[in-house]
This record gives sequence, C-alpha cells and structure tokens, in this order.
Amino acid sequence: MADAATAVAATEMTVEMVKASQLGMKALGAGIAVGLTGIGTGLAEMAIGSAAVGATAENKDVFGLVLLLTVIPETIVIFGLVVGLLLLF
Amino acid sequence: MAEVRAGPAPYIYVCTRMRVRKAKLLPREEYVRMLNMGLSEITRSIEETQYKKEIDELAPSFHGIDLIELALSWNLAKEYQSIQKITPGSLKDLTRAYLRKWDIQNVLTILRGKLHGEKPGKIREVLIPAGELDKQILDKLIEEQTPERIIEGLKGKGVYPLLSRSFEAGVKEDFLPRVENALYKQFYADLISMAQSGIKGGRQFMDYITLDIDITNIRNMFRFRADPSAGEMSDAVVPGGTISPQLIQRIMAIKDRNEFIDALIPSVKVRDLRELLETLREEKSVREIEIDLIKVQLSEMESMSKMNPFSIHPILAYLEMKKYEIFNLRALARGKESNLPPERIRGYLVM
Repeated sequence: MADAATAVAATEMTVEMVKASQLGMKALGAGIAVGLTGIGTGLAEMAIGSAAVGATAENKDVFGLVLLLTVIPETIVIFGLVVGLLLLF
Repeated sequence: MAEVRAGPAPYIYVCTRMRVRKAKLLPREEYVRMLNMGLSEITRSIEETQYKKEIDELAPSFHGIDLIELALSWNLAKEYQSIQKITPGSLKDLTRAYLRKWDIQNVLTILRGKLHGEKPGKIREVLIPAGELDKQILDKLIEEQTPERIIEGLKGKGVYPLLSRSFEAGVKEDFLPRVENALYKQFYADLISMAQSGIKGGRQFMDYITLDIDITNIRNMFRFRADPSAGEMSDAVVPGGTISPQLIQRIMAIKDRNEFIDALIPSVKVRDLRELLETLREEKSVREIEIDLIKVQLSEMESMSKMNPFSIHPILAYLEMKKYEIFNLRALARGKESNLPPERIRGYLVM
C-alpha cells in the first residue's frame, strides 16, 4: 500500500515541472520555426541565386537587380525568426 | 573522389545564361535596317554588337565580304565552344552530340571544296569548328591535296568509318550526296540511341530529335517533289521521326499537291507544323517553304524551352537561333556583295 502511494506521488507533476516543460516546448517550437523557414529560404535562394549568377555572368549591369531578387526569400526566415522570438519572449 | 551533387543549380545557371544570350540576338528590326545598308555599313553595324572582338581582330588582314564571313564563322565557333565548357553533366554530353552535326558539315565542305578546286583560304572561311573536329584538325585537312588523304586524316573520328567505306566504293558523280545522306542518317541514329540510353534529360532530347527529323523529312519531301531529278527520296529519308519512312515512300507517289498534304497532315503531331502544311496547298518556292519550316522549328523549340525551362531545350533553342542569326548575316552580306535588291535578300532571311 505504501509502495503504491509513493508511485502515485512520483508521477504527479509539480508546478515547477510544468513551467519548465512549457518553456522547453516553446524553445522547441521556436527552433522548428527558424529551422524550417531557414531550409525553405535556402531552397528558394538556391534557384534564384543560380539564375542570378548566370544572368550576371552574361550582363554585369543586372547585378544590383538580381542581388535584390536573391534576398527576397530572406523574408521567409525572418518570419520564422519573429515567430520564434514571440514564442520565447 | 566522390561526385559532388549540386542538384538543379548548374542547370538553372546554364539555362539562364542561354536565355540572356538569346535576348541579345539581333532583333527583326535590325535586319530590316541592315537591308537598306551597304556592306561597309553592315560591317560597322555588327561591329557594335557581340561580333566586335572578331571584326577588330580580323580587320587588319581582311576586308569586305571575307571579313564578315570569317568574323561570323569565328564568332559562331567561339560561342559553341564556350557553351560546351559551361554546360554541366549530361547536358554537356547531349550538347556535344548535337554539335557533331558540324563535323559532318565541315568534312563535306572540305571534300566539296577540294573536288571543285577551291583555295584553302576560301574553304576555311565557311568552316565552323564547333564539333569533335577542332580548328587544328580542320586546318590540317584543308591542306591535304586529295580526298583519300583527307579521309585518312579523320582516322579515329566518328565520321571516319562511314566515309572510308563510301570512299572505297569509288569517287563517282554522286559520291558526296550519297555519303552526305548516309552520314546524317548515322548522326540521327546515334542521337536517338544516346537519348534512349537512359541518360538524364534523354526524354527532352528525344523530343527535339523527333522534331528535327520531321522538319528534315518534310523539307526533303518538298525538295524532291519540286525537283524529281535530285535523286532518290528513299536515300534521304531519316528514320526516327513521327512520320514513318514507309508513309513517306507511299505519299511521295501522290502527284496531286492537295492529296499529298492531306495524307501527310494526320501523321504530324506539332500543331504549328500542321497549320503550316495547310498553307502549303498554294504553290510556293522550295526556298520559301524551307524558310517557313525553319520558323516553325524555331518557334516550337522556343515553346519546348518554356515547358522545360531547365533542360537541354533552352540550350538547343539558343544554339539553333544563333546559327540562323549567322545565316541571316551571311545572306545579307552575300546579297549586298552581289548587288541584289533588298526584297530579294529579305526572302533568304529567317526573321
């Protein structure tokens, strides 16, 4: 009987434990948000960057324009970062 | 060393470069403007475009039509060589295979020139060292005195076995047309076997080969119909297109033009080509038909390159369009040299 009472007490979570767990989940969510958007940005920039380098190799005048086009997918990772920061703070 | 896998990036890079180069090709308005110019004005005008380097380099030694001819050939060869350098992986193999067409053309030009007693300098002007045979090999072949020596000089190259076999049969009147047909048939058979070998991008390459073979066969059909004494159509038919050689043989026997076109249209898959064939019911000269067929081929290649933007299609579309830009400028220069009226020269331009 005493053993059963000890086991129940061990599975019950304290308030500190719940808070720590919530913080952990938030950190995990923030990490996923930044990580996945980073991958998305990378994939998008791979295609745009290759095309940008190709276009610049043929016509140097377009460098400024293609640089701008290449960084447009950066917005995706910035959204991820914002979501991550909102989760954490 | 482990192969570095770069994904689609190199394809995107090369195809974008081809698109930019295609955008730099001379527009229709430029040809129309050149039609009203003299030879020296045309030289100055093309010097302001991407031909500047070649014109500047050759201007001290050549002038007039020779300068333009040589500058155009050099530019085309340089362009083709540079494309072979920048294309990645299987695209390089496919581009090289396609450019072997120039080997056939160069060898036949040298043989034809030698048989007609042309000077080496004159033959050199029209050669495009874009395929397996580079400038050094072609220069060596030009200096050879007899066809036997020229063919010997090709030992180990792709065109050698067929040429030597045909040559052993004897140099007769029809040696060159016969060998030309055989070489092109072998060229297309090699392309088809390469496209079907499981190479990456082979399916798209096959689409291009089919279109090219169809256009070649249709052009030959109209040529042979206009001049039945030109030889046997069966020798010139290239197998592998959507129109089967048996069908071509059968419909070539049809004398009435309308019936001939009615029999031909159902086997043609390309819509623009079918529409063009409809317009050919009216009598047109072979040259006009050829120009119309080239236009359809170029527009079809353009739409193929839009459907498959990162494949062999944008590269092939640019290569073909560049080839016809050179043809146009040559036709313009030659026309002006021969004092032909602008309307007559216009008929030779693909624009």
